[in-house]
Amino acid sequence: MEATLNEPPPWLEQMVLLAIPPAARESVAGDLWETYQSPHQYAAEALRTVPFVVLSQMRRNLSPLALMLQGALIFLCLGGPATLVFLPFLMLRDAYQPVTRPTPRRAIREAILLSSWAMVLLFLFMAHHPPFPVRAGVDPFTWLSLFLAALFLSPFLCLFRAGLIMQGDRRMPLAADNLSKDALAGAYQTFLKTAFCRNVLEGTALAFAAIAGFFFTWNVLLIGLFVLAAVYLLLDTIPRVASAGDFVSLRAQYQRELLRQEQLRRALRWLWFAPVLVTLQARLAITATDAQDMVIALLNGVAAAILCFLVAALNREFGGRVQEQIGLLDRMRES
Amino acid sequence: MDSLGQFEQIVLTAILTLDGNAYGVTIHAKVEELSRPKKVTRGAVYATLDRMEDKGLISSWLSEPTKERGGRSRRHYRIEKSGEKALRESARTAQRLIETIAQTLGGLAWKPR
Repeated sequence: MEATLNEPPPWLEQMVLLAIPPAARESVAGDLWETYQSPHQYAAEALRTVPFVVLSQMRRNLSPLALMLQGALIFLCLGGPATLVFLPFLMLRDAYQPVTRPTPRRAIREAILLSSWAMVLLFLFMAHHPPFPVRAGVDPFTWLSLFLAALFLSPFLCLFRAGLIMQGDRRMPLAADNLSKDALAGAYQTFLKTAFCRNVLEGTALAFAAIAGFFFTWNVLLIGLFVLAAVYLLLDTIPRVASAGDFVSLRAQYQRELLRQEQLRRALRWLWFAPVLVTLQARLAITATDAQDMVIALLNGVAAAILCFLVAALNREFGGRVQEQIGLLDRMRES
Repeated sequence: MDSLGQFEQIVLTAILTLDGNAYGVTIHAKVEELSRPKKVTRGAVYATLDRMEDKGLISSWLSEPTKERGGRSRRHYRIEKSGEKALRESARTAQRLIETIAQTLGGLAWKPR
């Protein structure tokens, strides 16, 4: 392909870059640049290309079980119309999953913003939802105490987020630009062994949790999900020995397995927290009759919002680590 | 082993013929050439490449960034053993189809274009 002397206008390029999901940005934007003829051609080509790329990334990154659990939780807490609004947003978020972990500053800013938004949304929800006439019967002192408590949650969430980042910084494997085939095979084999042990342990723990669920009278659907997840994990434990192949094949296998295991983990994180969230939702749904009940309901709501934030933060951090590792592997050369 | 769809066969053939120079732009150009007179969008090629990569039929990696791409890398593709096998199987099926059609329509001197 011949190099073109023309370049797309920076503003147009920025718009196109924003529209392309991060995982495909480098190659797709480069291809568009390489075939640039005029702003009109560039924009038309981008419009024809980007929807396919978004759908493809959505298919690649989406974890159906995680999406199903999130959808069910939104449905339980906010109802059908909200689920219809949130589900496409969640799917798009999967397509636009960042390829790097957030910087500490950004992560902490996100924590503050999210906790503030959770509080505001919760307040609005409580104020307008029929079973929660917020003002009736609750004295101003209680309200002030609740919001002060919420205010102190931000530092806690920031600490949690910073802790995750620091832990991730300590454990970034495969940071080399060049690696021999044997070293790559060794790293892949170690990863497979770790994943195997983790799956056996988590599968067993899920099975025990499902049994415990019978005694704690959990929702039947929830017990069923735990059993299914346990069976899947225990059947998925056949050791995958890195098959013979050259450096490129080995790297592709490693990347695919990294992504598959992360999708699985993302769903499992939501699943582990689902019983608590369902219990909190069940308490929220009880129509409050006096001020004391309403305060408890409100606290349950706050707890549910924080728990959702924690699961999302865990998924964001661990997902970012995997994407970063896939990116490193993409650029790695055989030494 | 999953059988290949028609478009997947075309994309795999394009990667095979391009050998070491298979990346988005060149694959799209080759796919357009092979699918003539049908027009193919580049986005459809990307989506198929992603899908085949997930199936393990091809593998990809990023090259060094180049100036003619605005300092961005190319994503190069290579066909894997399983891809080669699937493509051979598809070619054999296509061959059988051609022979059967040629036998049936032989009187009309039918030839694949």
